[in-house]
Amino acid sequence: MVSRRERSAQRIAALDEQAEALGLKRGMGIADARAMHPSLEVVEADPAAEERLLDGLADWCDRYTPLVALDGSDGLHLDVTGCAHLFGGERAMLDDLLKRLREQGFSARAAIASTAGAAWAAARFARGVILEAGAEAAFLRDLPLPALRLDSSVCAGLESVGLRTVGAILEAPRAPLARRFGRLPLTRLDQALGHAEEALSPRLPVATLSVERALAEPVQRMEDIEELVLMLATTARASLEARGEGAKAIELALFRVDGAVSRVGVGASRPMRDPRLIQRLFRERLAVTTIDAGFGFDLVRLNMRESARFEARQGDLTGNGRAADEEDLALFADRICARLGRAAISRPMLRESHLPERAVSLVPFADAPPPDGRGGPVPRKGTTGLPGLVPAASAAQASRTDGREQPIRLLRRPEPVEASAEVPDGPPFSFRWRRTLYRVARAEGPERIAPEWWHASPEARTRDYFRVEDTAGRRFWLCREGLYDGTPAVPRWFMHGLFA
Amino acid sequence: MATIATARETLFALRRQIARIQGTAAERLEVVPADPPPEEGTVLREGGVALRQGLHAAGLLATGADAFDTALGGGLPRAALTEIHGAEMRNAGAVAGFALGLAALTLSDGLPFLWIATADTHREAGTPHAPGLWFRFGIAPERMLFCETARLDDALWVADEAARLSCVGLVILELRGTARRLDLTATRRLHFRARDAGRPVLLIRHSTLAEATAAPVRLLVSPAAAGLRSTVSGPLVGSIGPPAFCVDLDKSRTGASGRFELEWNAHDRTFRHRRPEDPVALVPLSPDRERLAASARPDLASHAGGRAAAAGGQPAREERPADRRPRRAG
Repeated sequence: MVSRRERSAQRIAALDEQAEALGLKRGMGIADARAMHPSLEVVEADPAAEERLLDGLADWCDRYTPLVALDGSDGLHLDVTGCAHLFGGERAMLDDLLKRLREQGFSARAAIASTAGAAWAAARFARGVILEAGAEAAFLRDLPLPALRLDSSVCAGLESVGLRTVGAILEAPRAPLARRFGRLPLTRLDQALGHAEEALSPRLPVATLSVERALAEPVQRMEDIEELVLMLATTARASLEARGEGAKAIELALFRVDGAVSRVGVGASRPMRDPRLIQRLFRERLAVTTIDAGFGFDLVRLNMRESARFEARQGDLTGNGRAADEEDLALFADRICARLGRAAISRPMLRESHLPERAVSLVPFADAPPPDGRGGPVPRKGTTGLPGLVPAASAAQASRTDGREQPIRLLRRPEPVEASAEVPDGPPFSFRWRRTLYRVARAEGPERIAPEWWHASPEARTRDYFRVEDTAGRRFWLCREGLYDGTPAVPRWFMHGLFA
Repeated sequence: MATIATARETLFALRRQIARIQGTAAERLEVVPADPPPEEGTVLREGGVALRQGLHAAGLLATGADAFDTALGGGLPRAALTEIHGAEMRNAGAVAGFALGLAALTLSDGLPFLWIATADTHREAGTPHAPGLWFRFGIAPERMLFCETARLDDALWVADEAARLSCVGLVILELRGTARRLDLTATRRLHFRARDAGRPVLLIRHSTLAEATAAPVRLLVSPAAAGLRSTVSGPLVGSIGPPAFCVDLDKSRTGASGRFELEWNAHDRTFRHRRPEDPVALVPLSPDRERLAASARPDLASHAGGRAAAAGGQPAREERPADRRPRRAG
């Protein structure tokens, strides 16, 4: 029995058949139940765990259809349109679902109907029903009002005027009902009967293309899974070719015998359809992912989450084409991303900013535009880059004419240093960085960089940068944040970069 | 070809075994790839080391500094693993600068270069800054690829995979501290892959001692005082000119060793030796001498362009309160 705190009293939230046989009911106080049956075993409800369990079940139900939606906290909607024939018809599918759930230790109710509302009612108020299209009204007629997914307050209101079944509402005039009880009862009725549309929101985005294979014998070894990936990718290739597309994000869903579902995904920086390459990416990904195979996987599915136009390119006749090089590089980058994450390999993109930390942004390889216009795939509209980024070549051109010496290494965060200067506005004379004292032999500067008022906070202060060389020949980039201009805030010194 | 390779492997293993029995370091056991037949040109010998002319195309990367190239036997091996060591993390700017100079020498064919580093290296020494690389070494941002990994093993894996790619013009692997995984076997794999791909792999190691590796060349790089900026009216007093490096040749094919002061010339994209007439002291002060020099402040000030002489080693009076305030707060 599961208890739940409701209005400062522990009440029964759920109970099993044995407890039901003892005459206990939901909503009853735990104290009352204990008084009747002192030997009751009571467990505190854990909504988070229940949600996780339902999520896990929804994952598992993915094997029947990609469109699985959560229904409240205790139900699942499966849109099985066009899927039933894969399991030998609706009846066989329903039986299979219930059998497998029972084997996992769940007691579940399920029904199939042509509308979500009717299926909801059939699953809760009947057992194993399959409603044909058009039979909803006849089925719902005898059911009580809660079968229309109405709150208890609305139900109580309707019952107080003598409308106790769905059939009574069906026959009652609509306008007065709507005026008195709002539109909800009628909307629910229309949805159940199929007169009004009802949209289910699936938990996971539906893949543009997916290939799956149910296995008679569960597989456990990763090598076998890699082989299966190759096989599925080979199957998917024909469909991708027919569409003229290549996959950019691929997900592998592994359905374990006991119901757990593992998903691993890889991304490609350019659309790909070669099964061998897909297999290689998954090999890298699986090498670093720990997947508990348990008793094995009995269903393996490859989802193409994202696809883009595939452009076949022709190498030049000399055979030393740049295209092949770029393809090699892209595959190498994809393998690194598959293994170490998307941000592992990046390209610098210059921005038009004088602040050194804003002047460069590291863009993941997959998102960076190709180094030169030719060669790479044509980027889709709106994905040419992050806003504010300029193509590297033109920005480099700009920075070349700029002629400002920049450090070759920039510290992620400027590190505060204790510096002393001869004159307040001048270069430092010595400074202490990371607990070591450095004497400045020579200094150049200042290079004054004002904050970007158009998107900086008003507290941002002007910085003066100095190139300094210490007595051992190390060259550093020090900056003083703030000016000696009579404001109460004292300027502070920072180490920001290292020169060659 | 395969039989030669296996024979070489066997030879290698035997030599290593002999080295172990004799108790000598195994690092000199590098198999020298078959040298190209000596061309008709004359063979110069400088200090007992043969200087072959015209080897630039035959797999050697001349740095442009003659004496340094001579000591290396003509230049750095182009298709090989080269180790560059830095004694301390705070020298990371100079060490990386020297490696980038070599990169700029190598990258003439428009291929990208890949810089692999562990996250802790980046945290300690800073991340590569593309505008600086462009300004000083002329490496365009669109040719840079940076790879940062959380773990050392991942960095080694990426380097292993990258070393065999011929579509990358240069691979830099930057590590910090001791790396047990980077032993003779691992470096030999890197070296062979670099050799097969026909371009260098630079291994930058910070704050660690030299270990036995398969790299044919090991250089210890430390910073050196830069020269003065040259202007139309001669060197500009008190300015910081092109970067200079102090390079110790720790291990090479020729067996030569020595200390060289090199300066990077961004215009010609070559290294050159520091000339004696360069206005800054050639040998940097060692750390213990540094302390002495700090006490003898006027000496230092004179070569620093007389900047600090008047201050007498003390901050100016009006600055003191400002200087103390954060200390009190902290």
